Amino acid sequence: MENRTKISISHVSKSFEDKKQVRHQVLDDINIEVKENEFLVLLGAGKSGKSVLLDIITGLDTDYEGKVEFSDGSRSTKDIGIVFQKYALFPWKTVMENVEMNQKFRGMGKQERKEKAEKYLKLVGLSGFENHYPNQISGGMKQRVAIARAFAGESDIMVMDEPFGALDAQTRYQMEEELLKIWEEAKRTVIFVTNNIEEAVYLGDRILLLGGSPSTIAKEYVPDMERPRKYTHPDFLELRNRIAGDFELVL
Amino acid sequence: MAEKGKKMIYYILPVLSIGILVVLWGVLCVQKPDIMPTPAAVIKKIADITVNPISNATLPVHILVSLGRVLSAFAAACVFGIVLGILMGWYPTFHDIAWPVFEIIRPIPPIAWIPLIILWCGIGETSKVIIVFIGAVVPIVLNTYSGIRQVDPMLFKAAKSVGAGDRATMFEVVLPASLPSIVAGMKTSLSTGWMCVLAAEMVVARQGVGFLIVRGMDSGDSALILSGMVVIGVVSALITALLNRAEVKLCPWRTEQR
Repeated sequence: MENRTKISISHVSKSFEDKKQVRHQVLDDINIEVKENEFLVLLGAGKSGKSVLLDIITGLDTDYEGKVEFSDGSRSTKDIGIVFQKYALFPWKTVMENVEMNQKFRGMGKQERKEKAEKYLKLVGLSGFENHYPNQISGGMKQRVAIARAFAGESDIMVMDEPFGALDAQTRYQMEEELLKIWEEAKRTVIFVTNNIEEAVYLGDRILLLGGSPSTIAKEYVPDMERPRKYTHPDFLELRNRIAGDFELVL
Repeated sequence: MAEKGKKMIYYILPVLSIGILVVLWGVLCVQKPDIMPTPAAVIKKIADITVNPISNATLPVHILVSLGRVLSAFAAACVFGIVLGILMGWYPTFHDIAWPVFEIIRPIPPIAWIPLIILWCGIGETSKVIIVFIGAVVPIVLNTYSGIRQVDPMLFKAAKSVGAGDRATMFEVVLPASLPSIVAGMKTSLSTGWMCVLAAEMVVARQGVGFLIVRGMDSGDSALILSGMVVIGVVSALITALLNRAEVKLCPWRTEQR
């Protein structure tokens, strides 16, 4: 079961034309088989086309070459849970209303969607903040709202674009730990994008290093470590250093 | 203690600054009270016209007449301006067609329209409302348009990811995101409208605050002129205060963080 392919990304290339009509190629022949319930990390520096690739996988961007196929038939954007960079919460909606949006547009009744939203807010530890506006809570809490909103869609595929990038180190560690906990409780396929090597090693079942210009999949790593992983464990450090070395090369 | 003292200052300072203004005014009047009436004379005049009608209307009626003109023009400007702003912000083709025309008409001051409007619509209520409308609609169109253009593209992606269709995206994302900007436009619109109505009334009217000023000029009654001016300032300040309240109610997510 673990090895069944969930998403098949084959020969995906992307280029765009800038204002001066010069073509830039961002992605070149990307091939990824994402396994069912896998925690896949896409690691890459800034501007390595990670977000572009995510937009392609989630169907937000349809202008590309190649194929993205799902093992269980076609999917539209709303059938994938997405956690965006910098939260992308709706500032005029309360925490509760933000999390409820998924159900709202699926035509779920008020009472039912309230219960759903409460369940996911509890999961991310935000019970009691339902009626706050995003402006009134901290960055870490906003991130959790964004995660709850994505989870509330109850998709079996989650895509997260540098979700913890804007957080301070302490909150970041805490969020990584919580995310793994949530994922282990209810397994689903996760594609997690980051530029942080430690985060990648801590979280990933498999890590794909994106790099070059245009970007390709430069390396693949499979951390052979029990969870929860220790940042100070020799195996952790060894893999971290190996990736750091490759990271320099593909820049 | 320090906290409380700071709060007190917010109440004391405005009273102080207005007090100084009135004192300066009083000092200036000493020389030529016939062309520059004293504050006391103006207050007396205001009290007088509040009870005794000029041109068949007491001061409150004149204020209400002016306000009525502003509000009907403002209501029309809101509907028309918001719709036009949305269309221009949302449909690039419509923007390309409408924007040049708007840009040419926009810099023409509402007062410059007065002769033409009178020629077309006579000197009745319609003319005044149209003149106010011309002034009031511009800030609403501009702010609605820029509000819609400035919606964070990430929010469109987020809307798509939670399954919002085109309609839902418009009403749940685009409009609320632009609302602070639209409300700011409405504030400017109302104060511009208030300025325009006075200009319109000064040219031709039998009632309204602008008319009072002209009547003061015609009859050499400087106290009446200044009464009209004071009333304009006070009413305008009240409108602004009211709108700030409305803004808090309309955009709670922006104000509750303070």
